[in-house]
Amino acid sequence: MDPTIKDFESASAELEAIVRKMEEGDLSLEQAMELYERGVQLSRFCHAQLEAAERRLEILNDRGELRAAPAAMGLTPPDEGGKTR
Amino acid sequence: MADLFDIPFEEDPGPALASPAQPRPQRQVLTVSELTSGIRAALETGFGELWVEGEISNCRVWNTGHVYFTLKDGGAQVKAVMFRSAHRYLRFKIEDGLKVIARGGLSVYEPKGEYQLVCEHLDPHGRGALQLAFEQLKRKLHAEGLFEEGRKRPLPALPRKIGIVTSLDGAALRDILKVLGRRHPNAHLVIRPTRVQGEGAAGEIARAIAAVAQLDGVDVVIAARGGGSAEDLWAFNEEVVARAVAASPVPVISAVGHEVDVTIADFVADLRAPTPSAAAEMVVSAKEEFCARIERLQGRLHAAARAGLQRRRAAVHLLATRRGLAGWQARLAMQGRHIAELTHALRQSGVALVARRGRELQGRRTRLEAGEVRRRVAAMRGRLVAADGRLSAAARRRRDRAQARLAALAGRLANLSPLAVLARGYAVCWNADRTEIVRRATDVPAGERVRVTLHDGELDCEVRGRYGSDH
Repeated sequence: MDPTIKDFESASAELEAIVRKMEEGDLSLEQAMELYERGVQLSRFCHAQLEAAERRLEILNDRGELRAAPAAMGLTPPDEGGKTR
Repeated sequence: MADLFDIPFEEDPGPALASPAQPRPQRQVLTVSELTSGIRAALETGFGELWVEGEISNCRVWNTGHVYFTLKDGGAQVKAVMFRSAHRYLRFKIEDGLKVIARGGLSVYEPKGEYQLVCEHLDPHGRGALQLAFEQLKRKLHAEGLFEEGRKRPLPALPRKIGIVTSLDGAALRDILKVLGRRHPNAHLVIRPTRVQGEGAAGEIARAIAAVAQLDGVDVVIAARGGGSAEDLWAFNEEVVARAVAASPVPVISAVGHEVDVTIADFVADLRAPTPSAAAEMVVSAKEEFCARIERLQGRLHAAARAGLQRRRAAVHLLATRRGLAGWQARLAMQGRHIAELTHALRQSGVALVARRGRELQGRRTRLEAGEVRRRVAAMRGRLVAADGRLSAAARRRRDRAQARLAALAGRLANLSPLAVLARGYAVCWNADRTEIVRRATDVPAGERVRVTLHDGELDCEVRGRYGSDH
């Protein structure tokens, strides 16, 4: 992804600042265009991050090893709610 | 002085301390050790197991782990000790001023000839040991500043990798998984199983918190346990757990028992959830709030961009249609030229007149020898030169006035707000002879020249191609 975007916190904070600036108006056309493009980039980044993560359930044992949790315990999707226990 | 001591011994040997029942035909001399061990035997067997109520003072913990203190009331005091073997089972801390009921037995420390109460157990007077321990630890950690609001960290904007410290088969884990599975389906969960009650559970919980909080990418830790008795929840009141929560590099949500149960871990945690489900809800609502915020910002971004474009379109329209404005510069230039030409013509005609008259006079002079004629001619020439000078000056003055007026007019025009827009990056495109503004790309065929007015000058341009919806 864009190396100038660090993480959500900074991306969403920057997006917020851009929107404020644009709402205040009083920008040259170049500035407005530049800000808008950056804003679109940032909001795309945030959306992508939201969707990028996938469901995972792991167990960290006392030897510090990570193992996938048994399926029976898994995060059951809403439509299979009955099988959780 | 010696006599005073000797006399009673001579007259009345008195009852011997060691064994009063024994018949004593003659005085018996005891060593100090014999006496002391006799006292010790008498105290230990004579009193047996005791419960003594009093206030603790002069309390000191030795590095052997034994605790020495004095038990006192209004009228007396007795030395007391609690050995490490008994002390380690005590939940609260022995402190000066504490009112306790001590259980134990009397003993004598022979090297010093001191008797003391050897305590097996202490019970705080008027409240439970757990209650007291809770209060003591709370006071201590509070004094260290561990409960301060300034230490509390907010949840991350978007919690994605969530560490869960709890028992694998508890209701707490089930509740958390249920909420997260439904409302944060793409979360990455790492469970660090631990015992949550019983001997040694506190240490396990503390290690589990530290281990999972240090995992790469974990952004929040939930330390949870389902409901239970105060004893069941006790591990979360232990100092080692509080320290682990405080040391965690990422925010910790404590979720122990039900809403009414408050533990020390709750005070130290960055967030306290009333129940394990509620802890999961907190994580979920942070995530949902983040999504909503991004949506809102995106909407505002597009709206602001649209509004900006509309504002600009309106400004350009105004600039192009303002009455009398179109072509103002061309008209100014035209007038300037007209005045210059007028001036030039005036001067030319004046000079020509003088020259013609001069030539006529020259002709006459050659014909007339009379000095008077020559004098008249000279006078005439002088008048003509002066007249020429006056003519030029008058013309110059008119021209200067006109130019000043034009300059003032141009200055006022430049101040009109639509023109100020040029300084922000707009340009006005004219046809080649600057009489009309080009409004449509289709108005200018390729190859034609146009003039482009910027805020500081003009460009002479040639149209090389056209782009647009109907090219």
